[in-house]
Amino acid sequence: MDHECARLLPAVCAVLADPGQPVADDTCLEKLLDWFKTVTEAESSLLLLQENPCLVELLSHVPKLQDVSARVLSFSLRLAGIFAAQEDCFQYLQQAELLPGLFGAAGPLGRAVWAVPTVRSGWIQGLRSLAQHPSALRFLADHGAVDTVFSLQGDASLFVASAAGQLLVHILALSMGGRAEGHTCPRDDDWPMCAQKIVGHIEESLCSTDTPRVTQALNALTTTFGRCQSPWTEVLWEQLSPLVARLLERDPVPAPHPLVDLLLCVARSPVLGSSDRGPWETAAQALSRLAPPQAGPLALGVLKLQLCPQALRTQAFGVLLQPLACVLKATSQGSGLPGLLDGTSEDSVVLDALLSSKSSCAGLLCRTLAHLEELQPLPQHPSPWPQAPLLRAVVTILRLCDGSAAPASSVGGRLCGTLVGCVRVQRAALDFLGTLSQGMGPQEQVTQVFAVLLECLERPDSSPTVLKKAFQATLRWLLSSARTPGCSGLGPHTALFLPELFPVLQKRLCSPCWEVRDSALEFLTHLSRHWGGQADFRHMLLESEVPELTRQLLQDPESYVRASAVTAMGELSSRGLHAAPTSPEHPEAQQSLLPEFLHILSADSEGFPRRAVMQVFTEWLRGGHADVARDTERFVATVLQVVSRDLDWEVRAQGLELALVFLGQTLGQPGPHCPYTVSLPKAAPPSPLAEALGALCRVRLFEFAFRALFDCDRPVAQKSCDLLLFLRDKTATYSSLWEAGGSPDSASVEAALQRWQAGEQDQLLGDLEPEAMLAALRSVDLEGLRGTLAQGSDHVEKSPQSLLQDMLATVGILQENQADCY
Amino acid sequence: MPEIRVTPLGAGQDVGRSCILVSIAGKNVMLDCGMHMGFSDDRRFPDFSYITQSGRLTDFLDCVIISHFHLDHCGALPYFSEMVGYDGPIYMTHPTQAICPILLEDYRKIAVDKKGEANFFTSQMIKDCMKKVVAVHLHQTVQVDDELEIKAYYAGHVLGAAMFQIKVGSESVVYTGDYNMTPDRHLGAAWIDKCRPNLLITESTYATTIRDSKRCRERDFLKKVHETVERGGKVLIPVFALGRAQELCILLETFWERMNLKVPIYFSTGLTEKANHYYKLFITWTNQKIRKTFVQRNMFEFKHIKAFDRAFADNPGPMVVFATPGMLHAGQSLQIFRKWAGNEKNMVIMPGYCVQGTVGHKILSGQRKLEMEGRQVLEVKMQVEYMSFSAHADAKGIMQLVGQAEPESVLLVHGEAKKMEFLKQKIEQEFRVNCYMPANGETVVLPTSPSIPGGISLGLLKREMAQGLLPEAKRPRLLHGTLIMKDSNFRLVSSEQALKELGLAEHQLRFTCRVHLHDTRKEQETAMRVYSHLKSVLKDHCVQHLPDGSVTVESILIQAAAPSEDPATKVLLVSWTYQDEELGSYLTSLLKKGLPQAPS
Repeated sequence: MDHECARLLPAVCAVLADPGQPVADDTCLEKLLDWFKTVTEAESSLLLLQENPCLVELLSHVPKLQDVSARVLSFSLRLAGIFAAQEDCFQYLQQAELLPGLFGAAGPLGRAVWAVPTVRSGWIQGLRSLAQHPSALRFLADHGAVDTVFSLQGDASLFVASAAGQLLVHILALSMGGRAEGHTCPRDDDWPMCAQKIVGHIEESLCSTDTPRVTQALNALTTTFGRCQSPWTEVLWEQLSPLVARLLERDPVPAPHPLVDLLLCVARSPVLGSSDRGPWETAAQALSRLAPPQAGPLALGVLKLQLCPQALRTQAFGVLLQPLACVLKATSQGSGLPGLLDGTSEDSVVLDALLSSKSSCAGLLCRTLAHLEELQPLPQHPSPWPQAPLLRAVVTILRLCDGSAAPASSVGGRLCGTLVGCVRVQRAALDFLGTLSQGMGPQEQVTQVFAVLLECLERPDSSPTVLKKAFQATLRWLLSSARTPGCSGLGPHTALFLPELFPVLQKRLCSPCWEVRDSALEFLTHLSRHWGGQADFRHMLLESEVPELTRQLLQDPESYVRASAVTAMGELSSRGLHAAPTSPEHPEAQQSLLPEFLHILSADSEGFPRRAVMQVFTEWLRGGHADVARDTERFVATVLQVVSRDLDWEVRAQGLELALVFLGQTLGQPGPHCPYTVSLPKAAPPSPLAEALGALCRVRLFEFAFRALFDCDRPVAQKSCDLLLFLRDKTATYSSLWEAGGSPDSASVEAALQRWQAGEQDQLLGDLEPEAMLAALRSVDLEGLRGTLAQGSDHVEKSPQSLLQDMLATVGILQENQADCY
Repeated sequence: MPEIRVTPLGAGQDVGRSCILVSIAGKNVMLDCGMHMGFSDDRRFPDFSYITQSGRLTDFLDCVIISHFHLDHCGALPYFSEMVGYDGPIYMTHPTQAICPILLEDYRKIAVDKKGEANFFTSQMIKDCMKKVVAVHLHQTVQVDDELEIKAYYAGHVLGAAMFQIKVGSESVVYTGDYNMTPDRHLGAAWIDKCRPNLLITESTYATTIRDSKRCRERDFLKKVHETVERGGKVLIPVFALGRAQELCILLETFWERMNLKVPIYFSTGLTEKANHYYKLFITWTNQKIRKTFVQRNMFEFKHIKAFDRAFADNPGPMVVFATPGMLHAGQSLQIFRKWAGNEKNMVIMPGYCVQGTVGHKILSGQRKLEMEGRQVLEVKMQVEYMSFSAHADAKGIMQLVGQAEPESVLLVHGEAKKMEFLKQKIEQEFRVNCYMPANGETVVLPTSPSIPGGISLGLLKREMAQGLLPEAKRPRLLHGTLIMKDSNFRLVSSEQALKELGLAEHQLRFTCRVHLHDTRKEQETAMRVYSHLKSVLKDHCVQHLPDGSVTVESILIQAAAPSEDPATKVLLVSWTYQDEELGSYLTSLLKKGLPQAPS
């Protein structure tokens, strides 16, 4: 702890110990604890207490206060725990008889303030920190703390109850910590008393008819097996697993979610999952006993395991597929196509869940689709993967949702009535459909997929969220179908689909919902990024009104849409697709977008479109876009001039990104030490240095970067600092050359630098020689600046001194402002 | 037993990040999803792991409702939807939907600017999150699904702020968010109809305060600004991009107009245009006065307020500058503050709350020497003023709202424990309803009595009418019928119809009783005596002596028998139907008293 903090600490402790002084801000005490944690990690707590007696005074005084504030008491409990985590400091506090007053029966336990959850939480967290050594265990036993923790497991506060469960496991692990590795004797033989007591409590709870108690026990076990990988956990599981299995015999099964969590945790444990005593039998039983909402997550968890008996995997996959199998069966009777789980009997529970109510049906289908979506991309997904029936099931669900399905049975009819217009299921189905694109499918089915996606995109009543997902799924299917082996160009499906897609896209670009216009633009950007070079695609796009509509959206009232339109137009323009060619003789002659984008950059009232323009410009510069290449220097100079005045620091930062690309193209690629990677067009070798520096001066890059170096927004200054460091390194040889010939006059640059540093923005630099710029560049302590900027701009305010000062400063003036909030 | 469960994850006995979980009849709703600006780590967001404990978030939650655009009510939304993974619907009013992303973006930029944070939501995430929003109109009943419906009411406080009624079947909860029961310069007062919810969840920021008039604070503000510019000083007002800034702009604009002042007023964010655009667009959400004058002059078209350029800060002479961010965290406002702090003629006015660790907090707590980077010390000579313009209902306002909505129970959030305790007692005394104030993480469970709708057959009603009694609205009347459940519907029908519909045969149910009499005569004579006795007592009833020796009174049948073991005792076997239950009981008690002495 530094001197200044040590000086302020007694006064702060005095404020905390005075119940008449409310604490300034609800975050202060938390931040103070954070600081003490950092301090005690670095130095001895005992020394800290000895050097700062005010802390011990605070800890002894606070619990005795009659009208103590719950927050300060909780703080003191947690603070004492942090100190007592070190055994010597624990002994010191014990000698001063402080700990029983805080954590024992004489402490807050028996007082009215115990009713406040913050105090109970502080008590638990204090003990959690304190319980790090054998002395702490004895202390806990002497003061009956474990019994209190048992009761707190059922606390009215979720936070307290959960922390109590965690503490219990921590104590169990601590008391078993002394066990030798490989020590696997049964519990009753020589397990420590404390551990026996905790395990006994868990056993009792598992047998209880009170569901919350069963939940607590299951959660405690899950935490234990998740955290501890020692051999004793194997003994523990062996002894408790029959009790866990017995829970499955009850009707209804109590605490199904925690039970699933426990079984999966045991299965994942390297100690337990691979042993003979693994949870496989219980898991199999659970899969057949639990209701679909709980069996689903268990099935998914089982299928995600690396090692697991095949029979269980088959059973689990069956559970996951069951709802979709029911849907398929109900809608495709007599079609002759293979369904899912053919040959097995239909699960009546699943069917009931599908048919009982709309919310139950939607819930089950959404969960199933989400589970399968999660499973599909995993390398351990079941093989063979029933791609074709799954595709059919999803397409059927989407058709049921949009009302276009023709049900073949009464169950199908009921499903139709339940699912029609169900946006929730539609979204989940589209997500899964997108994932299924990885596996493609038979020709005919892929056609069906595109047909159903097109219907979704076309339907006038599709909600914006459904449309967004439909666009995403469409893109994934288009990409996959283009990757089909032996397929060159667009691929047969895409070639057939695109002519139908463009009219829909046109319609969606004119949607009254900004969300839809934006999703359509994002989709268009991706399309042209992937197929912009394909002749068929280009032809279809230019034939359509899409480019023109996109251009119109540059004036959209919604700034998000304007930004997406800029990105889309930028992408189209990079590929010569932003408008139909003005003359058939010169197909490349298209109207330039540059003036329009420059106008947006200088005039748009919002940051998003301006930022989008800067991204496009940087890409254009990188890729040698025709509009830029025509006069690169003029382009860079204009853009930097406009950007330097921008009020949005992110636009200014992007200006530096563009400057860096320009630098890279003029001087050569930045070295590996530079955080930015710039890809240089291979054809343009770096020009001679003097010429290059002249170019930098002409585009006023120096002025732009120097100004940015003292920008009030830290990221801009940081980026500029990196850029100037790169520039300085690149010009080092040149500098040493002319240095020999005499120093140039850099006084005016340095004077300007000083004024910019002082925050004066209006100072302008005249036309100066590169030498003067380089001299100024060398005069700035860039390394020092980089170090300062690497810290947060609020590091001074965030320092412990600042915190202590703030706590002291607010004393007495609080009453006036404390009630106020945002 | 159906119940309503409420668990605050934030705003339970504090004014930090609001986030309240409500469960009604199996439907789960999250009310607000706020952020605590005082922390820069995970503690700034509510601990959502408590929701995900029981499976996927999107499966568990039916919807999220955002009451208004302040970050302590919506700041965690992009994190929740794009990083934690909630993919369901989010409801808010149209103005909130428009303004919320501006503030989120503003805060994201400050957070990244200040610390270069990587683990924070991005612009794209804010946009993707906003695409999940379903905007609602005031008083429009929105069906979230077949069972869950929500409805927004005007809350004052800030543009677009709303209270929400959440209804599942006959059970309902009203959540107020932040609200204001008195109109201010640009907004009206909160209003709700007598919706009699099972539970009203109300904010209680000023639970014990009776606030002075906002007019006084406004006058004070104008006076201070005016005095400063009159003596040639500069005034800095750090604000967030939207909300209070517009309110203060209206104030200054009107004052400048009235006083014909020429001193420039600047707004630094570059967001003025968009902000004012929204205030113009949502004019119907402002108060009556603004709406009335809208035709002549839109209050949000400012003549005197100009866009700020960074170079203006160095201009000589007086000026007023609105700059972001509001707590002097970083960026523009902090840079201007540093420039102007050394001059005692200048003034900084903090119009809102500042969290610890910001320069705003420091100067408000009276610190005048601020350590800056590189051990530099900034001496603050300029005047520092605090003006609270936050618009919350005070104790009186909260009581007024409770009276207006007539809830069965009240639950207090967004306030300090001590103050809540006081208000809780007041509400319980005055309205005779239960009032709760759970801490964060504590669950309040309210049992509710379900109301199950049932039909009544026309035949039964006609039969009642035929009895000549006309129904009266305020006087309950007893009506007998049979409640049957068919096809998940309840219907009250006549018993005959019930039998017919259910295809059941009628059963006769008779009550029986044995009465022992001391009588040495023969059974026939005893029966005769019973007949005579009843005939004399029950003059209004039809008493008959049947040929087989038994006696009847209406449906009641009495037979005399002689038990073999005691010839001096006779047993009367009495039986009756349930329709004559009263008469049957009376008769048995009469017979138990014995028969009058026979004339010898």
